[in-house]
Amino acid sequence: MFNLKISLFARTRELEHLIDRQHDKIIEMAMMFKDAIDIYLKEKRSESYRQTSKKIKTIEQESDRIRRDIERRLYEQNLIPDMRGSILQLVENLDKVVNLFDEVAHKFYIERPDIPEKYHNQLKKLVREVSDCAENMAISSRAFFRDLVTLRDYSKKVYLLEHQSDKTSAQLRNDVFDSDLELAQKIQINTFVEEVADIADLAEDCIDALLIFAIKREI
Amino acid sequence: MGANDASNIFGTAVGTKMLRFSVAALIASIFITLGSVISGQNTADTLNTLGSINALPAAFAVSLSSALAVFLMLKSGISVSISQAIVGGIVGWNLYTDNPTDMTALTKICSSWVICPIISGIIAVCLYLGLKKLLHYNKMHILWQDWIVRIGMILTTALGGYALGANNMANVVGVFIDSCIFTPIKLGNFYTLSSVQVLFLLGGIAASVGVFTYSKRAIKNVGKNLLAFSPIVAWIVILSQSLVLIMFSSSSFAAFLTSLHLPPLPAVPVSSTQAVLGAIVGIGLAKGGKGIKWNLVLKLMSGWVTSPLIALVLSYITLSFMENVFRQTIIIP
Repeated sequence: MFNLKISLFARTRELEHLIDRQHDKIIEMAMMFKDAIDIYLKEKRSESYRQTSKKIKTIEQESDRIRRDIERRLYEQNLIPDMRGSILQLVENLDKVVNLFDEVAHKFYIERPDIPEKYHNQLKKLVREVSDCAENMAISSRAFFRDLVTLRDYSKKVYLLEHQSDKTSAQLRNDVFDSDLELAQKIQINTFVEEVADIADLAEDCIDALLIFAIKREI
Repeated sequence: MGANDASNIFGTAVGTKMLRFSVAALIASIFITLGSVISGQNTADTLNTLGSINALPAAFAVSLSSALAVFLMLKSGISVSISQAIVGGIVGWNLYTDNPTDMTALTKICSSWVICPIISGIIAVCLYLGLKKLLHYNKMHILWQDWIVRIGMILTTALGGYALGANNMANVVGVFIDSCIFTPIKLGNFYTLSSVQVLFLLGGIAASVGVFTYSKRAIKNVGKNLLAFSPIVAWIVILSQSLVLIMFSSSSFAAFLTSLHLPPLPAVPVSSTQAVLGAIVGIGLAKGGKGIKWNLVLKLMSGWVTSPLIALVLSYITLSFMENVFRQTIIIP
């Protein structure tokens, strides 16, 4: 019985660390993505961008591994049975955000879009807002496990940043289509801008689900 | 008792998959039996003040009519307790045998039916608000909360089992005390179980059989009431119920209240289901009062009057049958 309690204690602590690491991965990914786009805009598909892109892939793979480990442990060890479904969905959602960061960064590497310099600042602004949005979502999601008041505070920030990123992306796309660029280039830039903005939309969707889980969590 | 009342204690823990059925049933059975043998007699004494049925056929008739009354009430969808029906049954015996009913004891018992859910509600509200504040300031990780609730549920299953045995076993075997046929049992050189304790031990074993055989099915019904809550709230409800049952069985708690110049709580069997409902209503009120089905609460209160009355009439009729048709002794002068 005593051994059982000790092992349950150790297993709970391990799972707590895993959940924390899953959130760390999103913050790490958001920062790395910001760096990657900065490098791309400066150097296009350089060796430095290739290295950063590789690091992004590694973070994505680690995040996948952590997600699978969390899911397996939650079911195998029969932990938090009443909230297990919600936590599984939350972990999946967090992983989707990480995947989308990786997809967009990889797409920059494959398609090598030619983005004129006059749009660089707007795109950097959009990337900053999107990354901040994902970071705040990670803080909010981490708070779900400990402190529901903090969760609500950061959720509000996510909504504001997502709204801001919508405005920035709309302005950028508008400017691109108002320009004299080739239609093919306009469409390509538009697709990239939309995909970057989608990261903030996905973070917002995660927060919507998270707030529902929080209602279920209240005693 | 082993099927329905016991499932109130550990049903939520099993239903929410916090505890395995076999573990919960084992803990509950052990502690129900311990509670019955060690403290079960306190509440039986109060019932005996109301009327000491000293003939075995009469005890059987009273017991049967009380069970029938509960069955009829449950059929009509009103949650009643054998605790209330047995009182009607005993008063029925008093009336049939021209035995005077101790009105002080009767008042004490009837008032406990009302006080029990109220106290349970108050305890639940205090625990709920206290725990809510604690979790707000403590910011404990959800995984550790789960860990603590799991241990809490194991302890509450033990406490609840003991409380149920101590408080409710008198309903099952109490009327047989004065016609008890058992001889004391020596447990080594240390302890001797009196004949009444042997009777209560038998009751405990019977309840344990009920726990293992029928409670699994009864848990589904508990689910309807309690599984809608989070495990923490469900745990608060069960803890409140267990504490109330202990309060109404413990003579030392009564002495403690007297030392504080407060009226002591009588040692009487109270309904565990109604204690659970009291706690649920209390928490419902603490959450703002929305979603409480007041018509169910009123139905419950109507059971306080109707179930002892039905048991009284049934007991009178059954005793008359026992004496006149089956030629059995109803009272030993």
